[in-house]
Amino acid sequence: MKRALGFMAFTLATSMSSAFAQETITLGASVQETGALANTGRYYRDSYKFAVEKINERGGVKVGGKTYTLALKILDNQSDSNLSVRQYVQLLTQDKVNFLLGPFASDFALADSSVAEKYQVPMIQGGGASDQIFNRGYKYIFGTLPVASKYFESTIAMMGKLNPAPKTVALLYADDAFDVSVANGTRELLQNAGIKLTLDQRYSSNTSDFSTLISQLKSSNPDAILVSGHETEALNFVRQAKSLNLAPKMYSFTVGVPTADFRKALGKDSNYAFGMTPWVISPTSKDLYFGNAADFAKAYVARFGYDPDYHSASAVADVEAFVKAMEAAGSLDPKKVRDAISQVNFPSLYGTVAFNATGQISLPQTVIQVQNDQVKAIYSQNGMLATPQYPMPPWDKR
Amino acid sequence: MQLLAQILANGVLLGGLYALMALGLALVWGVLNIVNLAHGAFIMLGAYVGYYLFTLFDMDPFVALPISMAALFCVGYLLQGGVLNLIARSAMFNTLLITFGIDVVLTQLAQILFSADYRTINPSYAGSNFMAFGVTLPWVRVLAFVVALLLTFSMWLFLLHTRLGRGIRATAQNLGAARLYGVAPKSIYAMTFGIGAALAGGAGDLYGVVSQINPYIGATLTAKSFAIAIIGGLESPLGVVVGGIFLGIVESLTALYIGPTFVDVASFGILVLVLVVRPNGLLGSTS
Repeated sequence: MKRALGFMAFTLATSMSSAFAQETITLGASVQETGALANTGRYYRDSYKFAVEKINERGGVKVGGKTYTLALKILDNQSDSNLSVRQYVQLLTQDKVNFLLGPFASDFALADSSVAEKYQVPMIQGGGASDQIFNRGYKYIFGTLPVASKYFESTIAMMGKLNPAPKTVALLYADDAFDVSVANGTRELLQNAGIKLTLDQRYSSNTSDFSTLISQLKSSNPDAILVSGHETEALNFVRQAKSLNLAPKMYSFTVGVPTADFRKALGKDSNYAFGMTPWVISPTSKDLYFGNAADFAKAYVARFGYDPDYHSASAVADVEAFVKAMEAAGSLDPKKVRDAISQVNFPSLYGTVAFNATGQISLPQTVIQVQNDQVKAIYSQNGMLATPQYPMPPWDKR
Repeated sequence: MQLLAQILANGVLLGGLYALMALGLALVWGVLNIVNLAHGAFIMLGAYVGYYLFTLFDMDPFVALPISMAALFCVGYLLQGGVLNLIARSAMFNTLLITFGIDVVLTQLAQILFSADYRTINPSYAGSNFMAFGVTLPWVRVLAFVVALLLTFSMWLFLLHTRLGRGIRATAQNLGAARLYGVAPKSIYAMTFGIGAALAGGAGDLYGVVSQINPYIGATLTAKSFAIAIIGGLESPLGVVVGGIFLGIVESLTALYIGPTFVDVASFGILVLVLVVRPNGLLGSTS
């Protein structure tokens, strides 16, 4: 009797699992779970997971009258872009995933998107913003981060409204795909705004010593300093600026400022730093699965134990864009889904998700500033949202 | 002129910290003939010891320095006794493999235990500075420089004038002869490796004050230490100090006159040049 029961349970289990196997759509991604970029890579791993869970909770995906469960296959690329490319090939050839989600960072997305293009399987990635990813005429790559060359657009627009408006600017940028794109765009934006670029300097990624650059900045004394680099460089820059007494009227960083990590690592010294984010946690950005952006942020902290930032929202948007596209296509054929992705247009907790002809989203950056240990939204397309603390006081007067 | 003076001061101060980082690596390399690829991971661990003492117990990083060193001494001593002694005096390749393995294990453990978040040791005076001869000098860097020099100097005295120090030097110079004179190499090795790790721990504590900590800072610090050890030579701690300061100045001047992307080109270019011209280091005896 016991044996028969066991046998029945066994057959039931296997038949159920095979039934599930038929109705599963697998999204594959290689992200930085370990290595130097693990700090940001986790946003993608956790947000993909979270989005897939929530979508399954609401009944999964309906494609062509059939309901599917979403599954996720994540590999750890150890912050190595060569390994990442191999893993995307593996995901498509061995693991046979249906579609691809992206890694973090432009250097990675730049290389990995070639795998998607070669195998003609669409990849939606929320971690690479460099213009280089999208200007190669690829058909199978879509991105939910705003264009790198316009990262400083809103900041420069805001600078025109400050009193006194900064007249001279220094631009520092790291030597990777994303930051070079930012620098190229920023030069043009500054020229159009009639602001003089007094120092234009590229540095190696992962530079930890900025003392020479800071000494140069002190002697050229620009009104504003724009830094396009990685979070670790932003942290080193602020600390060393303080220790060498460099206090321009303002400084702004492409990344780092919106994260809790930035404020925790710097403490009070994070104040006055300007930054930007395409995602402001507001209850007006609504979503089918999480409620709104504020609900999402709350649920995210409860689930993972750290604050989400725009990387998380962008990653969630990637998963949702696939769901919308598959439902619209009514098929799992990569080519049809690809065409459907190019047509999506839906509101999400991240903002309106729609892709332009090159495959990139267009979202404005909101200028933010750390004020009294809190991140404040300062300026958006619609104008000033709050009063910026400007000019930045010297370090000994804080 | 003002700018040049400032850049030179930056370079010298940076070099002091570099020297302390490389000191332990050079000592272990010279005595045990092990290029310790886990040296950077030791620096990282030392930094975390300093960080947790600072955040949990509000302990000043300069007070925490000896604790950080003692903790890392234990780590080094146990690793040498338990793991590295198994391959003592074997081919260079084996020691490289095993220290690389230790580096991977320590780094991954650190990510699991401490997460990949960036940490800083940020006491209230971390950013304060003073002016001297028109040059801005950050207090913390000056203090770190002084501590680095003190540690190097005491290391030098220790090697010259204590029984253990003489034993270490004897083992490095001629193992057979040292044995005949009653030196027990096993304990010397463990002590030396422990001291090397302790110096890394001290360097890590100071590194956390001037820069920031994350489980993955080790690899670049190992490479930098390696370059300094070669430039300065393995024969005496003073060589390492000269190598560190020399590298600090070269890096700062390169960043100013050639460009910040060429810093690594310059430092490793000099490494190659030193290997060609003075294979025993700047202060080493010419062969």
